[in-house]
Amino acid sequence: MDESPKKELAVRRNTSSHLHRKEETPSWHLGAPVDIFFRSSPCRIVVVNAQELDHPIIYVNLIFEQVTGYRADEVLGRNCRFLQYQGSFAKTRYPLVDIRILTEICRCLSEGFDFEGERLNFRKGGSPLMNRLYIKPICNDEGIITHFLGVQSFKEANFDLSPLRGLVWKKSSGAIHTHILGDMYSQKSLFVHRDCSFKKCCPLYKVSDEVLVVNILARLTPKDVTSLGSVCHRFYNLTKDESLWKLVCQNIWGQETFSILESVARRRRLWWGKIVRELTTLEAAAWRKLTVGGSVEPSCINFSVCAVGSKVVLFGGEGVNMQPVNDTFVLDLNEDCPEWTHINVNSAPPGRWGHTLSGLSDSRLVVFGGCGRNGLLNDAFVLDLDEPQPTWREVSCSTRPLPRSWHSSCILDGTKLIVSGGCTDSGALLSDTFLLDLTMEKPVWKEINVSWRPPSRLGHTLSVLGNHKILMYGGLATSGPLRLRSSDVYIMDLSEEETRWKYVTGSMLPGGVSTCNSAPPPRLDHAAVSLPGGRVVVFGGSIAGSRLETKVYILDPMEEKPTWRILYVQGRQPKYASGHSTCLVGGTRVVVLGGHHTEDWMLTELHELCLINLKGTD
Amino acid sequence: MAELPNTTMANECKVKLKSKDDKIFEVEYAVAMQSQTLKNALAHTGCTDTALPLHDISSQILAKVIEYCEYHVNAANTISEKDVKTWDEELVKHMDQDTLFRLIVAAKYLEIHNLVDLMCKTIADRIKDKSVEELREIFHVQNDFTPEEEEQVRRETKWAHGE
Repeated sequence: MDESPKKELAVRRNTSSHLHRKEETPSWHLGAPVDIFFRSSPCRIVVVNAQELDHPIIYVNLIFEQVTGYRADEVLGRNCRFLQYQGSFAKTRYPLVDIRILTEICRCLSEGFDFEGERLNFRKGGSPLMNRLYIKPICNDEGIITHFLGVQSFKEANFDLSPLRGLVWKKSSGAIHTHILGDMYSQKSLFVHRDCSFKKCCPLYKVSDEVLVVNILARLTPKDVTSLGSVCHRFYNLTKDESLWKLVCQNIWGQETFSILESVARRRRLWWGKIVRELTTLEAAAWRKLTVGGSVEPSCINFSVCAVGSKVVLFGGEGVNMQPVNDTFVLDLNEDCPEWTHINVNSAPPGRWGHTLSGLSDSRLVVFGGCGRNGLLNDAFVLDLDEPQPTWREVSCSTRPLPRSWHSSCILDGTKLIVSGGCTDSGALLSDTFLLDLTMEKPVWKEINVSWRPPSRLGHTLSVLGNHKILMYGGLATSGPLRLRSSDVYIMDLSEEETRWKYVTGSMLPGGVSTCNSAPPPRLDHAAVSLPGGRVVVFGGSIAGSRLETKVYILDPMEEKPTWRILYVQGRQPKYASGHSTCLVGGTRVVVLGGHHTEDWMLTELHELCLINLKGTD
Repeated sequence: MAELPNTTMANECKVKLKSKDDKIFEVEYAVAMQSQTLKNALAHTGCTDTALPLHDISSQILAKVIEYCEYHVNAANTISEKDVKTWDEELVKHMDQDTLFRLIVAAKYLEIHNLVDLMCKTIADRIKDKSVEELREIFHVQNDFTPEEEEQVRRETKWAHGE
C-alpha cells in the first residue's frame, strides 16, 4: 500500500483509523454529506487507485463484503463496474443501469469533482441494490488526484428486473411477438452451465444468455433449437429454459394459437417445452370419456356446436317430430363439474338443423344457413356470450349467398366467416365460396371468384391453416350424374391476388386410386380439426359400406408431397363422430358430442380427443 | 428527458465516441440518436466536447455500427424499404461469425434495436437446418459432452427431428 493516501487521510481524520486493516470501519471527518452517510446507515467503503489504468480497487471494508457478497480478495485489483453486472456470469452492464449516471461519474472523475447520486448495483448473487454513492477524489500534496474514495449506503431495490418488458417487436412475417413476463429471464440458467466449452476470448462468450435466447433461439424451429442444444453444455442449458419454448411457440404457431394455448397452460400449469413437443409429435394423443352434468332438453339431433374459449356452445337441431329448434346451450369445460346450461337469449334465430355454428376470436359466435321450418335459410346471426344478456343479432346484408344446408364453414383470422358448398332447396349441390367480414360495420357477403371450382358437394369440411389458407376435404360430391363420397383435398390461399383452389391429394390421381395405404377412405359428415403448424386431423363421418371407421388421420399440406398418415391414438374412440357436432376447445381437446349410434340423447357422455397430456405439474 | 434546446443545435452538434482502443469517432447528432444508450447519455450531458467512452467496443466494430446508423439515418425518408433491406443483407452477407457476435454485443450495449435484430436474424438464418457438427464449426465451440451425455441428449431431442 503506498504512503500518500494514508498520509492524506491521516490529516483529515479526527480519530485513529487503520486503513490497512479491512476489519474496521474508519471514522473519517470528510465533510458533511459523507458524515451523514456514516451516521444514517452502515456504509460500504471502496478506495480505488486513480493513477492506475482502469482505477483498480485497493481497499474495501467489511460492510462492503457483507452487503455485496463479494469477498475482498475477489474484488481487489478490479474496476468497480462489476457491481453493475447482474450476477457473476454477466458479461455486460445490466440494461437498467442508468448510463447518464455513469457518464456523470466519468465526468466528475475526470474533472476532479465530488460525485453524489444513486445507482443500481447488484450483489454477487444477482439481487439488486439501490446504491447511494458518494465519490470523493483524494489528492496528494501537489494537488494531483491519487485515489478516489467511494462511500456507499444502500437500500434494497424493489423493481421489475426484466429488461425487456415493454420491448415490442415489429410485426413482420416470421417475426417474434414477444411481451415478456416479469419472471422470464431467471438467473437459474446462467448458474447451471459449465463454461469450458469455448474460450473466453471468443466473442460468443460475451453475448449474454438473454440475447441468445430471446433474439436468436426464439426465432428457430424446434428442430434447430434442439440441434443447437446438442452442441455444448451452455446451449443445452439454454434450451431447458421454459421461457424459450414459450417464445418458440409464439414464433412458429402465431399469436392467436399462442393465446389460446396460454390460457390452457396457465390453468393446468403445463410446461411449454412439453406443449411444443406434444403438439409437434402428437405422441400423447388420447381418447377420453367425459361425463358432464345438466342435459340438453328437449333432445335433438343434427344440432351444431362450436367452441368459444373454454366453452362448448350448441344451437339448433332437429327435435321431436322432426321440428327445427332454436335453443342455445353452453357447457363450460373450465368448471370443475361442467354442466349444460340453457341460455335465455333475446331474439333467438329461427330454429334450424344442418346449419353451421362457428366461434369468432373473442366471445362471439355466428350461425349461418340450415334448414328451417319453411325451407332453407341464408341468414346469419351473431351472439356475444360475454354480454350480460346475450342477444342473437342478425347480420343484415342486402345480398346473400343462396340458402343452403349441410354446407361447411370456417373462421379466418378470427373475424371472417367463410362458407362453401351445401345443398339447395331444389336438391342441387353447390360449389361456391363466400366470405363475410364481421369486423366491418355493415358486413357484406363477397363471393370468392375462382376460375375453376372443385365439384359441388355437401357434408365436406373447411379447415383454416394459419392466417390465410383454407383446406377443403371430403363430402358427398358430384361426379357426373352421380354423387359419391370424396377423399379429395383442396387448398386455397386467400392472400394471393388470384385466388384459386389447388388440388392437394385424393382420388384424382392416375387410375383414381390413392397410392398411399394410409389414406382415409372417402367420407362425408366427418370431423376435421386444424392443428398448429397447418396440419389437419380427420376422423369419423360416414364411409361407404356403413363400416365403422375408427382411425384418426393426419395430413401436413406443407410437405412437398402431402401424404395422409394414420395417427395412433390411445384409448377408445367414439363409435361415430360428425363434423357439425365436433369442436376444438382450447387448441388441445377435440370434443365429440352425440352421434348416430348412441343412445345418449341427453349429451351427458362426451368423448374427447386430447391432443396433449393435460395433466400438468404442480 | 431533456432534448437539445433547438434543432439548429441538434444539426450542428457532433458527438464524439471513443472506442476501447482509444480511437475517436465523430458522428452527427442524428446518427448518435439511433442508439438509445447514447440518447440517454446525451440528454443528460447535452452537446459536449468530451468523447463518450465505450469501453467494450473496438474501433473496428464501432466503425461498422456507425456505418449502419449513418446509412439508416440517411435512408430514413429517401430510400425505399426494399432497398434498405437489400443494403442490410449486403452488409451481413459475408460477415464472419466473430464480427457478428461482437456487433451484437455492441449493438445491445448501445441499444440499437434494429441492428441487434438484423444481426440476430442473420445468425438464426445461419443456424437453420444445420447439423450439430456444422453448428460447432460455425460457433467455434468444442463438444463438452461425455459420450453418455451425448447419447442422452440425442434421445431427448429425437422428437424434433421427426424420428
